[in-house]
Amino acid sequence: MIGYLPGRSAVHRAHPYTPLALAVGIFLLAFAFRTPGAVWLVVVAALAFAAMGGVLGAVLRPAALLAIPTWVLLSVLHGLLGGPPHVALGPLLFSVPGGERALVFGGRVTAILLAFLTVLATVSPGRLVEAMTARGVPFGRVYLLVSTLTVVPRLRVRVRQIVDAQQCRGLRLGGSPLARLRALGPLVVPLVLSALAEVDEQALALDVRGGSMAGGRTALDPPEDRAPDRAVRWVMLLAVVAAYAARFLGRGP
Amino acid sequence: MTLRDLVVIRLGVAVNLVIGQVAAVLLLPVFLDTIGTVLVAALVGPRAAIVAGLTSQVLNAVLSGNFTWLPFGLVQIVIALYAALAARLGAFRRIATAVPAGIGLGIVAASTSAPISYFLFGGVTAGGVTAVTTVLRALGASLPVAVAAASYATDLLDKSLVFALVAVVLRSLPRQMAVRFRMLAR
Repeated sequence: MIGYLPGRSAVHRAHPYTPLALAVGIFLLAFAFRTPGAVWLVVVAALAFAAMGGVLGAVLRPAALLAIPTWVLLSVLHGLLGGPPHVALGPLLFSVPGGERALVFGGRVTAILLAFLTVLATVSPGRLVEAMTARGVPFGRVYLLVSTLTVVPRLRVRVRQIVDAQQCRGLRLGGSPLARLRALGPLVVPLVLSALAEVDEQALALDVRGGSMAGGRTALDPPEDRAPDRAVRWVMLLAVVAAYAARFLGRGP
Repeated sequence: MTLRDLVVIRLGVAVNLVIGQVAAVLLLPVFLDTIGTVLVAALVGPRAAIVAGLTSQVLNAVLSGNFTWLPFGLVQIVIALYAALAARLGAFRRIATAVPAGIGLGIVAASTSAPISYFLFGGVTAGGVTAVTTVLRALGASLPVAVAAASYATDLLDKSLVFALVAVVLRSLPRQMAVRFRMLAR
């Protein structure tokens, strides 16, 4: 969908935890607000975040590709099939309260997509690993998040090989739904069994690389966590706490 | 958690992420994207399965770019706990017990995902489920009923298939391989 785009923006240079904290903050703020105006202010904040990272153009396209189907479905489900009062839009009747709800839900989805796609585009995975290692995040968590992504393409290739091999042995992929359900076993079982057969070998490989060693690890080039980074994270935390406090006190937008 | 557990979790996550490809090849209206979580629960235990489920949710969002799926991580936790309990009770020993247990998981999973879908996203989530919701809404069902019915309809089939497939995988494991997994060794 989108990967890291090298750059020199303030977001690129920030400690990797800062853009992550901003995205999580935008995510939480989107759910703290209930009116279309407030939710779309969060969307504007997410757009500003992407612009600050110099990736607005790159992020808009995948965000639109993911958000537009949601907007369409929200418009149908809440707007066209919503309750009264209605306004006439040409030959169609559009629910006014349903339209407002669609704006809130659509705004939330848009803000979340923009914020996290900006993180994907501006946070270098290598720097993130260094930051996590420097912060003492256990090896297992770093390994799971980073290393699994390298297994996925290999497993995708294996799925294709298994499909081809089973078809050569006479497996039919088409037919009635029941016939297709029956074909699941011959495809899924070899995939999972072959993956499990590798467990011991991979555990051994991890062990000889020091995976089971106790104690902290040293990051070779840990990103600097400067005062402005910490300040931005604290401001975001306070904004989220204030938004939820206002919501629970019944004074939030 | 041992290194071996970590490797099993990693494979479980990878299986969760690629298994959709198989469902797509067969044009089946199921996700099967929790098969790795259920397998890890049956082989290693609930804690490892929760880690596998949550990691799958995060990486699925990273790979697809669709971070709106993150709140559904809660469903992965529920699935992990239920699957570990089902494994402890011996539900995976036979397909005849795995399928009803899978239907039970479908009910539990749908009961968890439908409120998230309704309250956080107005009932609009994955394409197939939302299509069912829209049809039911057009037929006159209220939105909460339509969202819940769509979730139950998809999850009952999906989770019973997942449990049946995991039962088949566990029965197919060679004995010398099976005894090396904590939960199976019991």
